Amino acid sequence: MNGAANVLAQGEAAFPPSVEDFYLPSIVPWGAENSYWFTKITFMVWLAVAILIVFFLASYRKPQLVPTKKQWLAESIYGFVRNNIAVDMIGHAGIRFAPYFTTLFCFIFLTNLFAIVPGLQISPNSHIAFPAFLAVISYVLFIYAGIKHHGAGKFIKNSLIPPAPWYILPLLIPIEFFSTFLVRPFSLAVRLFANMFAGHMLLLVFTLGGFAMINANALLAPVSLLSWVMTIALTFLEFLVIALQAYVFTVLTASYVQGALADEH
Amino acid sequence: MAGDQTPQPTGGPGDTPPNAGQGWTALTYLIAGMGVWGFIGWLVDQWLDTGGIATGIGVVLGMAGGIILVVRRLGTPT
Repeated sequence: MNGAANVLAQGEAAFPPSVEDFYLPSIVPWGAENSYWFTKITFMVWLAVAILIVFFLASYRKPQLVPTKKQWLAESIYGFVRNNIAVDMIGHAGIRFAPYFTTLFCFIFLTNLFAIVPGLQISPNSHIAFPAFLAVISYVLFIYAGIKHHGAGKFIKNSLIPPAPWYILPLLIPIEFFSTFLVRPFSLAVRLFANMFAGHMLLLVFTLGGFAMINANALLAPVSLLSWVMTIALTFLEFLVIALQAYVFTVLTASYVQGALADEH
Repeated sequence: MAGDQTPQPTGGPGDTPPNAGQGWTALTYLIAGMGVWGFIGWLVDQWLDTGGIATGIGVVLGMAGGIILVVRRLGTPT
């Protein structure tokens, strides 16, 4: 990051930030041109997984009746997802999905949060691959849950055939198919990806824009200052988006599972 | 309709009907309706060279379908 700051101060960073800025250089092997197996993004995903595993293991290693601070935090996170998402959306049948929802929520929240952690400052979720894979997991989960609960035939019948007179069914079934089996994973992935991508881009524009203006003309220094103040304000906005998107992703997954488990109306 | 993403905590015990995802579901139905039947209409256009009329009919039909789905699936139960 210090290197990046120097580059910025010398006015060498290209001002309108582009998609290129999301493709970080390879770390192992250092600076390699055609090997991107281990970049900062890879590192951050591993870091998030490691933090979550260590945190939850450490807080539940010796559970106390009167919780310690760490245990309290872990229990509040799990309790929040279990009660306010799983049980609220699905009902009692939702409790067995709570561990997955908690993992999903924590992982997305943490990887999103990396977007505003100094030194990391980009979220792995700003690459479509990560949200896409999370969406695939949720997609497979809700289809599997539905098939297991109803059996394949009844699940497909439930999800494709709405309660309506037979003569409008030909109109409705394609819409149902499209919205349930095609749009869902796509919209889950794109919503998260686009939010994180746009957030990073916005911060880049305001930070780099400040440098670009001050380099262009010293008289523009106050505007640059304003631009950096905006960066700080947007960082707080970004935090809101981070928490909200982690929540929305989990809630929508829960809602899909609920839809798959629901009996016919 | 799109702003329905913050759910009201239902607070009731047990199996309260979920409402958090319904805003998204409704939005998806409306857009998917227009998308699917608009696309089918567009295909018909390509096939019969009707110059956009079929696409228009498709979009309107899809809208109607989407609305029917929202009413049937998300309307008051029973």
